[in-house]
Amino acid sequence: MVGRFDSECENAWCPGCGNFGILSAVKKALEETGKQKHEVVLVSGIGQAAKLPHSVNVNVFNGLHGRALPAAAAIKMANQGLTVVVTSGDGDIYGEGGNHFLHNVRRNVDIALFVHDNKVYGLTKGQPSPTSDPGWTGSLQRSGVISGPFPPLAVALALGCGFVARGYSADVDFTAGLMLQAIRFPGFALVDILQPCVTFNKKNTYDWYGRMTYKLPSDHDVTDREKAFTLALEGEGRIPLGVLYRKEKPAFGERHPQVPGLPLGERETPEEAVRALLRRRLAAAG
Amino acid sequence: MEIDVNVRVAGGAGQGVHTVSNLIMRMVVDAGYHFHVTQDYMSRIRGGRNSQTVRIGSDPVRAGRETADILLVVNPDLLPHFLPAVGQGGFALADFPSADPPLFSVPLKEMAGRAGSPILANVAGTGVIAWALGIPLETADAVFQADFKEDFFEKNRQALRFGADWAEAHLPGEIRERFRLPSRPPVQRIILSGNEALALGALAGGCKFAAGYPMTPGTSILSTLANDGPSVGLLFEQAEDEIAALNMAIGAAYTGARALVATSGGGFALMVEALSLAGMMEIPVVIAIGMRPGPATGMPTRTGQEDLAFALSAGHGEFPRLVLTPGSPEEAFDLAQRAMDLAEEFQVPALLLTDQYLADTIVDIDPEVLGVHPVRRHIVRGDSVPRSGEEPYLRHAYTENGVSPMAVPGEPGITVVVDSDEHTEDGHLTEDHATRNRMVEKRLRKGAMLAGRIIPPLVAGPPNGDLLLIGFGSTKEVIGETRQILAREGRTVATVHLRQVMPFPAEEVARIVPRYGTALTVENNAHGQLARLIRGECGVKVDGTILRYDGLPFTPAALAEDVRRKVW
Repeated sequence: MVGRFDSECENAWCPGCGNFGILSAVKKALEETGKQKHEVVLVSGIGQAAKLPHSVNVNVFNGLHGRALPAAAAIKMANQGLTVVVTSGDGDIYGEGGNHFLHNVRRNVDIALFVHDNKVYGLTKGQPSPTSDPGWTGSLQRSGVISGPFPPLAVALALGCGFVARGYSADVDFTAGLMLQAIRFPGFALVDILQPCVTFNKKNTYDWYGRMTYKLPSDHDVTDREKAFTLALEGEGRIPLGVLYRKEKPAFGERHPQVPGLPLGERETPEEAVRALLRRRLAAAG
Repeated sequence: MEIDVNVRVAGGAGQGVHTVSNLIMRMVVDAGYHFHVTQDYMSRIRGGRNSQTVRIGSDPVRAGRETADILLVVNPDLLPHFLPAVGQGGFALADFPSADPPLFSVPLKEMAGRAGSPILANVAGTGVIAWALGIPLETADAVFQADFKEDFFEKNRQALRFGADWAEAHLPGEIRERFRLPSRPPVQRIILSGNEALALGALAGGCKFAAGYPMTPGTSILSTLANDGPSVGLLFEQAEDEIAALNMAIGAAYTGARALVATSGGGFALMVEALSLAGMMEIPVVIAIGMRPGPATGMPTRTGQEDLAFALSAGHGEFPRLVLTPGSPEEAFDLAQRAMDLAEEFQVPALLLTDQYLADTIVDIDPEVLGVHPVRRHIVRGDSVPRSGEEPYLRHAYTENGVSPMAVPGEPGITVVVDSDEHTEDGHLTEDHATRNRMVEKRLRKGAMLAGRIIPPLVAGPPNGDLLLIGFGSTKEVIGETRQILAREGRTVATVHLRQVMPFPAEEVARIVPRYGTALTVENNAHGQLARLIRGECGVKVDGTILRYDGLPFTPAALAEDVRRKVW
């Protein structure tokens, strides 16, 4: 069956790559939003994950490595009518774009962020990412990763992110459900998606994730931030999947006085309004 | 110029130096005169050595002067630094126990105390200057009213009057005879700094999105946009860094909003990758760069023109761009407006290259010269979007002039795809070499189109003669006044002011240079970057350069002396 968001564009992923599951989940979630292709913008940076937007028939902004978030935030600021989704890799968002990740959680623009988290740099062939497990041997770290892992969900919670979830690429329907909630959430929403890299990460495999993860029970209180924080820091052996935290607060668009009104690109520039600004600078005698 | 009085106010940061120059410039416009303010300040919040110089004239004033006729030093510790620059017949004022002419000991602290606050010493000093210039004190009321509430408004008025009364009682009458501005009817003038003019020009050009990270001397562009922009529908957001700022502007521009970022050389260095992105995605965006001396942090609050070559070549890969170099606040207003329009028409990044000197220069301007033109949009919407059945919309369609019809996301029936990778006409990434060639050539054609629309240089003086002085950007008016000084000495001197340096007006410059005995560039840098550019672009070698790289702007008298030494 050809879906509404299917694209004829080929992708270049390895057979068995977790990106296929994430792509299916993105399309499924977009189907369920009921949006038309022209109403959606997929934004990404650089990497194998960042090529995903090319495989979806919507507006695409495939920008620079690490810089998806500032572009996406501004797209949404400029046109509130667009549904803006960022889909990019762990190196792109948490490494190269780490500063943008921190400050866009704070900024709370109404966009959804899906991070393909496979704990490895695939496109550059096997270096560790910020989320790699210590001791893992990358192509540039022959004696193993020394730095501690970046905990995305805990960082997002610490910064006050209103929607924090974790998906798994092998469970498409489950992950699509999280994505749909994130897209519908009125504010910055993070879904970190665990994903095996079949070529370069021989540790965090499908089998490994199958043993290490569990789904949060339906009675988990998503408004309990402290509990969410504890869950976000749970490590090997017990990695929770699902919505860890969800609490609405006014988004950027509701708080910035210049957002309401027409999209920025459609606003007029009355010459009289410009002349009024000049007249305010007339010397007193004028 | 019949009347030419140079007033310098010096003090530490936080001692109200700006208040004094603000008062004086507004009072002299009220009195029917013109002014030019230059600011020299240090990179600190309190203390240090700051000064502002208000050059007052009977004609519009467009350049500074080093020698001061009237010097007010609010912090007497700074006297040794500033006193030597007091010219012949001039005088200085400081709260100093004893003094001999040209220095007069003035009890600023005592008068401020009597007026009700020790911080009014600067205003008491202004009263002395107003007396010397013969300006009615009431002309300050409007300024006080705008800045101060009830109680403090009255205290300011008092301090000003105490200063004038003290001067009447203690200063020799010749001073007033020498500096008195004869009464003239006031004319309508707009007061603008270079940065304010640039920001207002961007707004006039339809700018609707601005982002930035504060950096001297670019910050006041951002503050003008943040404060004045909302009334014309602009959204401003402070970015977490300059990288974010330009990527945000590009994101907003992708949706069809005209967008601008402002920074200085160091911040622009961080934006360079995104500049290249705008080139690849063919997204219009305007980048204002206020230059300051480098390398690295350099002298953060001083001036320089060291980033010319950087602005021309910044960004990996090859792509067309526009680089405009305004020479005055009026030109900053005009060229910012044009940059917003040209960037969108040709879907290229446009750079506005200024410097701290122009950014902080304040002048009075004839309102008539600030032309506000209707904004012409170049975005396709609705029926003007090229559509062919089920075929995708081609964001990068091959066209004769290289410019493809630009639609924006949200347009029903189509999707807009842009990529930082090399791409096909529909925007999807490709590694096909034939497509690569066609896309490179499409971008080249846009560059050629831009070259056909160069904003020509401004040429002044005789069509041939002894000397040609060539400059770009903020040196315009200084070189102009230097030409007049040398012409009065019987020299035939002409000037070329470049308002645009990329694409470079090569033919015109190549035609002009050989007509003069000596051709020199005048540049606020040490490498003679403009001379190299002219040689590279025109195949014409200038005879030399006059360079200044101490962090301060040129002044006409000093530049004229440099020229005499070099040429005659």
